[in-house]
This record gives sequence, structure tokens and C-alpha cells, in this order.
Amino acid sequence: QTVLKSSDTHPDGYPTVEGVKYFGELLKERTQGRYSVDVYHSAQLGEEKDTIEQVRSGVIELNRVSMAPFNGTVKETIVPALPYIFTSEDHMHKVMDGAVGDQIKAAFEPVGLVVLAFYDAGSRSFYNSKKPIKTVADMAGLKFRVIQSDIFVDMTAALGANATPMPYGEVYSSIETGVIDGAENNFPSYDTAKHVEVAKYYSLDEHTILPEVFVMNKAAFDALTPEDQEIFKQAAKDSVAKQRELWAAKTTESRANAEKLGSQINDVEKQGFIDAMKPVYDKHVKDPVLQKLVEDVRAVK
Amino acid sequence: MELWILFGSFTLLMLIGTPVAFCLGIASFATVVYMGLPPLVVFQRLNSGMSVFSLLAIPFFIYAGDLMVRGGIASRIVAFAASLVGHVRGGLGQVNIVTATLFGGISGSAVAEAAAVGGLMIPQMKARGYGTDYAVNVTSMSALIALLLPPSHNMIIYSISAGGKISIADLFTAGILPGILLAASLMVTAYFVARKRGYPTEPFPGFLMVAHLLAVALPGLLLIAIIFGGVRSGIFTATESSCIAVIYALLVTIFVYRQLNWSDFVHATMGAVRTTAMVLLIIGTAAAFSWLMAFLKVPTSLVAWMNTLSENPIVILLLLNVIMLLLGTFMDMGPTIIITTPIFLPIAQSYGIDPVHFGVIMILNYGIGLNTPPVGAVQFVACAVGKITVWQAMRSIWPFYGAGIMVLLLVTYVPAISLWLPSVFK
Amino acid sequence: MSTQPPLGVPILSRVNTTALYLASIGLVVMTAIVAWQVFCRYILNDSPSWTEPGAVMLMSWFIFLGAAVGVRENNHMGFDVLLYVMPHWAKKWLRMISDIVILAFGIGMVWYGSKLVGLTWNTTLPALGISGGWDYLPVVGGGILVMLFSLERIVLRVSGAPIDDALDEMVAPEIAVELENVSAVREDAAEQARKG
Ligand code: NA
Ligand code: NA
Repeated sequence: QTVLKSSDTHPDGYPTVEGVKYFGELLKERTQGRYSVDVYHSAQLGEEKDTIEQVRSGVIELNRVSMAPFNGTVKETIVPALPYIFTSEDHMHKVMDGAVGDQIKAAFEPVGLVVLAFYDAGSRSFYNSKKPIKTVADMAGLKFRVIQSDIFVDMTAALGANATPMPYGEVYSSIETGVIDGAENNFPSYDTAKHVEVAKYYSLDEHTILPEVFVMNKAAFDALTPEDQEIFKQAAKDSVAKQRELWAAKTTESRANAEKLGSQINDVEKQGFIDAMKPVYDKHVKDPVLQKLVEDVRAVK
Repeated sequence: MELWILFGSFTLLMLIGTPVAFCLGIASFATVVYMGLPPLVVFQRLNSGMSVFSLLAIPFFIYAGDLMVRGGIASRIVAFAASLVGHVRGGLGQVNIVTATLFGGISGSAVAEAAAVGGLMIPQMKARGYGTDYAVNVTSMSALIALLLPPSHNMIIYSISAGGKISIADLFTAGILPGILLAASLMVTAYFVARKRGYPTEPFPGFLMVAHLLAVALPGLLLIAIIFGGVRSGIFTATESSCIAVIYALLVTIFVYRQLNWSDFVHATMGAVRTTAMVLLIIGTAAAFSWLMAFLKVPTSLVAWMNTLSENPIVILLLLNVIMLLLGTFMDMGPTIIITTPIFLPIAQSYGIDPVHFGVIMILNYGIGLNTPPVGAVQFVACAVGKITVWQAMRSIWPFYGAGIMVLLLVTYVPAISLWLPSVFK
Repeated sequence: MSTQPPLGVPILSRVNTTALYLASIGLVVMTAIVAWQVFCRYILNDSPSWTEPGAVMLMSWFIFLGAAVGVRENNHMGFDVLLYVMPHWAKKWLRMISDIVILAFGIGMVWYGSKLVGLTWNTTLPALGISGGWDYLPVVGGGILVMLFSLERIVLRVSGAPIDDALDEMVAPEIAVELENVSAVREDAAEQARKG
């Protein structure tokens, strides 16, 4: 009877945490209790960069992380992190469930990881305390805290705004006092981090639709019998459907919650944002492998 | 078994005098090896635990404190405080407390404060016929005010240990009233002890002199306004304010007071490096230790156990206060905050206690522990400056402990003392 | 002031001093970097993305160098109540155990720090654009010094040098640094009093 340990930065009850828990239940059921999963939520074992190193070196067996921290390790992950690479969530699902997704999965193996599943994390948009953003011109001069990723920093600059480095824990008070004007995230994080209280303008520019990955230590996976490996893969696949369902519900709920707290949500003239992204692509998609991947993603309709 | 190895080897090494940082590190290392986990995780936590931007506040506030002490800011504050309250009964005791409060508003470290204020006040008090034990106790207890008043790097450590999701600006604001309350209760205590012992008062130098000394001390004291105003008006973040404190202290001591020479600067920098490295190495190894506690689910089990004890938050808070006072007696403040926040905060929150309020309670508890043997850095400094043993100081410290405990109880059971001011600024 | 022990290998004294100076420079540069970050954001309205990770990495270096210096200067905080009441010979052995523990941890820092460097060498840090291995190099560097300094004390003790008497003479670690400030404050006050 083996208990596999999995890390997650989100709190208990969050769709990603529940997705991995569901995977664990399926595993337990299908292996007659030989395998189960213990989820350490709320970053108990460390931030994503740290837990990635832990799962790579076999300290823990499983990890649910965002794709962005892998950009400097697995270059193929740059593609789904590119702004406006996906036209919709459906498009993202089709791509990641298909051949492109398989290619990205395979790219994790050299760093000692097996990708069990891609989970939904919705689309990310900018929110701020100053004004609704409708066109790219409205972004000029605003200061945003973005995740520590060169793509996000360059994207923000390409839109004429300033990407301000800052620990996540300081974002709330920094928007409140005016050190920065806003940040960017999906609805569930906007709501749970209470940023809605200090930045009420949420503008649906939907710059990325970046999925999350659920990975397993490769040595641990290879040590499984071929039958068990199949059970793991199938359980992960089945957990995806469940996670997507939970994610959709969570997004609706947190969007409603944000609106109740006074959030003003508006649409943007998206084409302007898409057009502004050329320098980001020029800088980050130089590698022929990535260029091919971008073409492949765009070929999926 | 894992827990026995973790806590057993830690306790054993502590007892034989191994430095705390290495006790935490080797105890984690031994446990990880026993569990068959890759030991590199210990050294990863060691590095990641201290590679946090918010932790920059610790070296900066320590550095700023050292510069202010060496560059003449501290001594000018003493002169101003002396003119202000010297004529109250037990005058120099009152001067000591007021200085500690003013200096506490610009310095984050209670130990540095005990050295700075004690270094000036204790010899003067001795010379004017005050008992050395009285001088030492007033110094060591009033040094704790610095922990509560912003800036306070221990509050930053608390916020980080809580997962970095508690607003540091709110914590800073929440500490102000408890800090002032502590100052007031110590002044009252000092007054009564002084009256009983028949200590003298100083002549009042006249309002003109007070105004003059205020003007002299003002450039230093302005730092309070700069830090608080700068953070609240969005010029810099709470963490960045610590760096601004260093820059400001440099500017004032070099260009206004013209007292910081090259040698002072080098010594202040090296002193700050030594103190910071000592504190942050413990933070790093404590991060490895608390990673293992989380891995072994210690906090979760403790919360479940506490919940079976009582449903009453008043009882639980009392229990937590007793535990924290005990821990503070035997351990040093920084590592204790890091190790126990992930354990105690979930318990407190499960009883509906606000994390900002709980932070103030925790700082005050462990702060009092800085003043209790066998491990009490503030008390040691004050005693070393006064050249008496800890046991000599202990004989007459009790009224001051009483004042501290009373403030602790008030802060614990009247949440508004901590939470009202942050709500005003919202 | 907390100084180096009077006994010791001369070359290691020099290594110690060098490490302390490097760490001090690190602190000064770190101050400049964060001040620059505030200046760029508030005045220039354009934040560089390297300042935050850069300052943190610099801190990591000066902490590990400073921590190694602390080992040699016996600066690290501990619970030494038991040591005071122990007879001389027992104290010596307890200190020996502590030094071995520190040596073991130093070896761990070097060995597992190197493994971490290896694990992350092929990753790239965002904003800084350098290898992720740089994150863990300070652990290795500090570990080498911790190893050397604890080994020095063990060898001195085994060879019969009165290292423990020297340690007894030194001021208690937690207050040594602060006590240095006390004399500085008094000189200040005296100077001001002279000026009136
Ligand atoms: Na303070
Ligand atoms: Na104590």
C-alpha cells in the first residue's frame, strides 16, 4: 500500500486540488487500495519552483503546477504560455488533448517527469484600481504585477504598461496603497486573493489561456508495472473531465462573487491586443521547434 | 518514529550547546535520511527559505539600526527624551522608556534598541543613584516596544511564515496601539517602583530647551514619518521601506549630523552582516525543519487535537499564550515564529481569530521571551551593558513582567486594540 | 566586538576576513539595487525585472559567507546554559560534538548543494537569464567555508591547542555584535556633550 505525495499551491477545495484528489480516489479504487494520493495543498511543501525540484529529485511523487515555471526548463512549454496562442478554451482543449499536447508531454521526460494530465486554469486578464481598460491605449503607463515570467513581462511592455516585480503576498496592499495599479489573473484567483476589494476594474482581455500540468516523477512512474501505468494514465485522463467541470463551476461562482463585491467587468477590443503581441512572438519564438509548434497549434481548428 | 528523531535530535543538540541553526539543520537532515527521502531537500529548503524578497527587510532594518546608533541619531533622541520627561518621578527611567518608544518607531530590532538605549541610559542612571537592576529592567522591557511599533522585521517574518498572504502594512499598523499601550504601562510601573525606592527627578529644562532638542533630534525622528507615510501613500512597499531606512540613515548621519566616518560605516556594515547572517541562517534551517513538520502533518494533527480540547476561543487563546510564553522562554524569537506560525495560526483561525490580531499576540508573547532566561537576547544585552548577572536583574523584574503580561492579556482579549487602526486606514 | 579567536591557521584568518569583506560589499550593493528599484518604479515609472531576483540572490551569497564567518568567530546563537555548569573536560567534548555536527552540515551543504546545482544547471532563471544552478552555488560556497572553519577547530582541539579556553574568553555570541555599538554610542554622546 503506497501513499503518493502531491503538492499544490492552491487551497483545499480549489479545482486543481480536487482534481488530483479525484485522481487519487480513482487510483485507490482501481488498484484495490494499493495506491492512494495525499495532497499537500496551500503550498505547504513550498512554492512551485521548489516543488518542481522536489518532484524531479523524487522527494515527492506527484505535483500539480502551472506551466510558466517550466518555461526555463522545458522550452516547449513556452508555446501554450504565449499570449493569444489559443483562440478559446475549446481551442486549448483540442490542442492539448491532441498531437501538440503529446509533443509537449514528451518534452518533460528528459527532465525526469511524466505528464499525467493538463488541467484547466481558465483565461487570465488584467485588473486594476484606476479605470476599465477597453483598448491597448488604456494600458499606457499603468503598473501591473505579473507572474515572474519573461513572456509576461515582455507582453506587458508590448502593451505599453509596466510589469512590476513583486512577491504575490504584497500585491493586495500594494494595489491598496497605489504602489501598483493592478495585476492579472483568472477569476478564481482574483476572487480568493480578495484583490477584487482593491482593484474593481476587471477587463476581459484574456491574454493567456494557460493550462496547468499534473506531473509524476519519471523514476517512480517507470517503477510501476505496465498494467499499473495504464491505470495511472487512465485515472489521470478521467480526472481531467472532472477537473474541467469543477473549474467551469468555480469560474462562474467567483465571477458572480466578484460582481457582488462591486467588480466592474468589461470587454476589450481584443484585436488590438492580439496585434500588439508581434514583438513577444519575435523574441520568444526563434527556435525552429517552437516555430513549428506554433504553426501546429494554429492549424488546429 | 520520524517525529522522535526530528524533535529528539533537535532537543539533544540544543542542550549540549550546538548553535540553533545547526540543531535545526542536522535534526532535519537525520530525519530525512531515516525516512529514505533524498537529503537534498533539506538544503533546498535551507536556500529557498531565506531566498525570499520580503526577508530583505531583516538585513536592511538591522543595518539601518546599526547606522543610526553609530551615526548619532540614537544619542540625540535620548537628549530630547530627557528634556521631555526627565522631571517625572524616577525621571531617567521615564526618559529610558520614551527614548525606547521613539527609537522603536525607527528601528525594528529589540536587541539593537537595548544596546543603543541601554548603552546611553544605564550608566547615567547608575551615576544618578538608580539601582542597576532597575536601570537594566526598564531598558530590557522597554526595548520590546520596538517589536510592536513599525518597522518590525519580526512581523515580516510572521507574514512570510503565514504563507506571505497577510498584509505587512496592516500588521505594522496593528502594532502601533499595543506598542503605545506597552510604553504607557511600563511608564506607570516605572513611576511606582521609582517612588517606592525614592529615586530622584531631573529639573525641567524649559520649553525652549525641549524645542531645541526636538529640532536637533528631528531629522532622525522624521524617519518614522517617512517609513509610515511612504508605505501608506504607495511610494514604496513595506519591504522596500527597510531599504529606504538605510538610505535615509546614511543621508542624515553623513550630511546632517556629519558624524558617520568611514570606519563607523565599515563597522556598521560588518556588524549588520554578522547579525543578519546569524538570524537568516536560522531562518533557512528552520524552513527545512518546518517543511518536515508539514510533510509529517504535525500542524494538521495538532489543530485536530486542540479542537477536541475546547470549543471556546477564550480558553484556546489562553492556552496558546501559555505555550508561546513557555516557548519564548527557551527559544529565540525569529526561529520560533517561523516554526510555530504554521502550527498555531491554523488553530487560531479555526476559532475565528483574525491573522493580523494573532500576529500581534504572537510577537508580544515571544517578545516577552526575549527578556526571560535562559535564552533572552535582549535581557543579556541589557545585563551586559549594566554589568550585572541575569539573576540579579531577575530579582526585581517582576513588576515589569506584570506590566507586560497585563498588556498581553488586553491585546489578546480586546481585538480592537490591534484591529481598529488598520480598519481606519482601509 | 566579536573578533576572530586568537588561535587559528593564519591563512584561514585571511579567508575569514576576505569573506566578511565580500559579504559586506554584498549588503551595500543590495541596498543600492533595492533603492534603484524604488527609484525606477516611482520616478521613472519603469520597473526593471532583474532587481528583485538579483537582490535575493545577492542576499543568499552574503548570508552564507556571513554564516561561515559566524562559525569561525563563534557568533551563532545557541542554548549554552549547560556548558556553563559543566566541568572543563566535559565542556570540551560537548563542544567537540557541536563542531562535528557543524562539519557534517557543512559537508551536506557542499555535497547536496552541488547536486542541486546539477539538477538545475540546465534551467534558465526568468528575468536574470542565467542558469538556475546559480541559485544553489552560494550553498556550495558557504558550505566549503563552514567545513574548513569547523575542521580547523576540531584539528586544533585534537592537537591539544587550548581552543576551548579561547572560546570561554569570548563574549557571549548573541550580544557580542551589539555590545560593539554600545561604545560607539557613548563616544557619540560624549562628543555631543563637549559641543554642548
Ligand atoms: Na519598530
Ligand atoms: Na527567553
